[in-house]
This record gives sequence, structure tokens and C-alpha cells, in this order.
Amino acid sequence: MRLLVNHATVVVSGTKIAQEIGSNRAEVWRLIQRLRELGVEIAGRPATGYRLESMPDLLLPDLLAPLVRGTLFADHIHHYYKIGSTNTAAMKAGAAGAAEGSVFLAEQQTEGRGRGAHTWHSTQSDGIYCSVLLRPSLSPSEALLLSLAAGLAVKGAINEIDPKVNADLKWPNDLLIDGKKFCGILTEMNAEVTRVRYLVVGVGINVNHGSFPAELKQATSLRLATGTVWSRMELCAALLKSLDREYRMLSTDSDARQSIIRRFEAGSTSVRGREVEIENGGGVSGVTAGLDARGFLLVRGDKGIQTILSGTVRLK
Amino acid sequence: MNHKELKELIEFLVEKDIAEFELERGDVKIRIKRGAEPGAIHTPDPRYFAVHSAPPPAPEVGVHPVTAESPTTAPATAAAPAPVENLHIVHSPIVGTYYESPSPGSPPFVKVGDTVEVGQVVCIVEAMKLMNEIESDVAGEVVKKLITNGQPIEYGQDLFAIRPRA
Repeated sequence: MRLLVNHATVVVSGTKIAQEIGSNRAEVWRLIQRLRELGVEIAGRPATGYRLESMPDLLLPDLLAPLVRGTLFADHIHHYYKIGSTNTAAMKAGAAGAAEGSVFLAEQQTEGRGRGAHTWHSTQSDGIYCSVLLRPSLSPSEALLLSLAAGLAVKGAINEIDPKVNADLKWPNDLLIDGKKFCGILTEMNAEVTRVRYLVVGVGINVNHGSFPAELKQATSLRLATGTVWSRMELCAALLKSLDREYRMLSTDSDARQSIIRRFEAGSTSVRGREVEIENGGGVSGVTAGLDARGFLLVRGDKGIQTILSGTVRLK
Repeated sequence: MNHKELKELIEFLVEKDIAEFELERGDVKIRIKRGAEPGAIHTPDPRYFAVHSAPPPAPEVGVHPVTAESPTTAPATAAAPAPVENLHIVHSPIVGTYYESPSPGSPPFVKVGDTVEVGQVVCIVEAMKLMNEIESDVAGEVVKKLITNGQPIEYGQDLFAIRPRA
């Protein structure tokens, strides 16, 4: 595959490919068939060789790794065509001792998860379904801020590619365009009282979805919102770089906590002065009053200001 | 919970020699404390026998500290659980909301009476959509769940009492 990418416009003979990968022509033919099944368009010319015509936007580690060189995430990228949930895979890998910076990407999730019993609609090759494994030397309460930082990282990555996109953060880390959600983040942690063993940040971004099932009325994709098809590869690389930046800052800079809270408040239209209802069993409603020093949402309601630790914020 | 279940529960508590038990499920609250009534006569607690072996009119009354107690309160004191019998407490590493099961409607990670191993997930504490899997740091038997599902908890709060495996 890499061989064809490196010679993207020329015809490469089957014999040459076989030599390079230490195989024979019959095996090369079998591999080419396999790539074609995956959606890679490869022209075969009798007696001359193969030529790469067009490639689907697959998040292949060989192609992604060079784009994120120098970050924490360049060395252990795992890619699946179909998986239950990238977060589940990453948490299992974390328990089994996998390296910090391991990345789990999928073209399709069959059991994409959200908070509680929520699921994440994850159709084939339309979105980015990406989970990263971290082993932060932070206390569990500091690590909580990664939840907010992950939302900032997605927003940063999108604006790096298209500064015009107005991605609005909704506490704790949903991203909306025109009030419709296109990105959800689920963070899972395994920690002792004073030490985080490992933590997984799972990001689901609707990138090129053309439509959504009727029950997802409040969903959108970057393509639907902007009218253009996005390169998932480019966005995924920008996301990993952006996550790397946020994570390093939180791990090394003592002012990162305030910076995260300040930037979150700046990037969210609903974190202050917005009438909301919190779905968390308690049923708090009121007007948002910013974040406290720990990153929790403050809501001013009938009983005065309440600190919201968790739950879904419904905008009114 | 019906009478049969309640009976089974009590038999279980007797069999496992659990002195105190509390369960809250919806609006049903059950609290069982064993040993405070005469039914606990078979309890092999030496202090208990010390009380009853002392004849009430004996001349030592008022001198011996054990027999000095009134007969009604004495059995209760005597049969109370051995001084908090070294239960291990699992604490929460973060502020957040306590969940006893992986998702709403699914069975809880652990129930009272379950045996847990070191590293077994016993509950989830969520804050800001960060799900924190809390593991047991000891192997043993879950004696008590100290928090009800959905309740907000503080940093370091007690979550479970576990009787470590001998």
C-alpha cells in the first residue's frame, strides 16, 4: 500500500512490488484484490503493473503516523475496520499494560458508547472514532480537567483546518454547530485514590455523514454544516496534535487549569447566562453561571447556585 | 421483598455471621441488626456467656464491670459486632456521581455478599462525563454498600465495606 502511495502517479510492476515486500506476484495480486475490496481504486495494466487511481479516506496507521510525528501518538496507532467500541478496546489495552499514547481508530463501531446507556451512531468511514490511552502523572481530580481539555482540543483541530467553523462547546465537552451536536467525548479512567493508572479519551466526530436516522434530530456533521467533504485523515492528524498539546500543557504547566477553564468559557455560548435543565436524576434547572475552579458547572436556580458534577445539559 | 426473601436474607446473615445489614432499594429500606434479642443465644461470644453465667443476685454485682450492667442492655452490648472487625473501606478518588452499574438498568457491579478480587470494578464515579472505574483494592466479601445509586459523593468518601479474605 505504502509503495503505491509513494509512487502515486506511476505504474508499479507486480514483480517490483513482490520484490519490495519479499513476496511473489500471485501474492501481490491477492493483496491488490483485498485493497480493491476496501475501496482503494487500483488500475491494473497487463504486462506493465499497477497504478493507484484513488484512495478512500481510511485512517490507516501507515499514512497517519507520519502526520503526527513528534507527538505522543505516533508510535502505537491501531486501526480497525469494524469494532465494538474503540473506548472498550483502549480500556482493555490499558489494563493489559499498553503504552501511553496508544491510539485506537475505527472505520465503524457497532457498539459506540456515550454516557450511561447512550450510544454513538457510528457509520462506516463517515466519522472519526478515536480513543487514546494516557497514563498521566496527575492526581485523579486534576485528570478530570482532561474531560474539558478534550473538547477544546477538538475545537482547536477543527479551526486549524477551517477557522470559519463556529464550533460551540456545551459543558462538559459536547460540540455543537448551530445548536446541533456533531462531536461527543467520553473519558474513562482507572485510578487509585491518589494516582491515575490509565485514562482513555474517546472522541466521536460526525465528519462526512450525509444524513442521520430520524431519531437523531439534533445531530449534524461537519459536511452538513459546512457544505464540503472533509478529509478525515487531515482532521484526525490535527486532533491528535491538538490533544497532544493540551495534554502536555496540563501535565507540565501549573497555570493550565485556569487556562482550560478560561478558554472553555470563551468557547462556549451556553456556559454562562443560558437557561438550562440538567438531566442527572436531580432535575436541576436554572441559568448557567460559569465554571468553578474545578471545572464544574454552576447553575443558579430556585435554591441558589448549585454545582453540577455530571449530567446532560439541555439548552432551553 | 416478600416474607420468603426476607427469611432467606436473615438465614444468610446468620450463616455468614453478619451482625448488621442495611439495604435501600427504591422506597424500601431494610435494616437488620442481629444479636440484640434473645435469639442470639447461640452466639459463641465469650462476653455474652460471661454475662449470663453471672447469677443476677450474686454478691459481686456492682463490682464486676460486666455484670454491673443492667440485664436488658447487657446482651445487646455483648453481642454487638466485634469492634468494627477490621473491615476494609474502598474510597472514591474523585468528586462525582456514584453509579452501582455500568449503565442504567443493568445489574450492579457487586451486591452485598459478593466476593470480590483485587482489581475488580465495584462501581463507577462520574464527573464531567469522565467515568471513573473504582476497583476493589482488597480481596474479600462485600459487607456493605455505603452509597445509594446516583448520589453525589465527595473526594475520599467511603464507598464499600469489605471483609478481607483471611
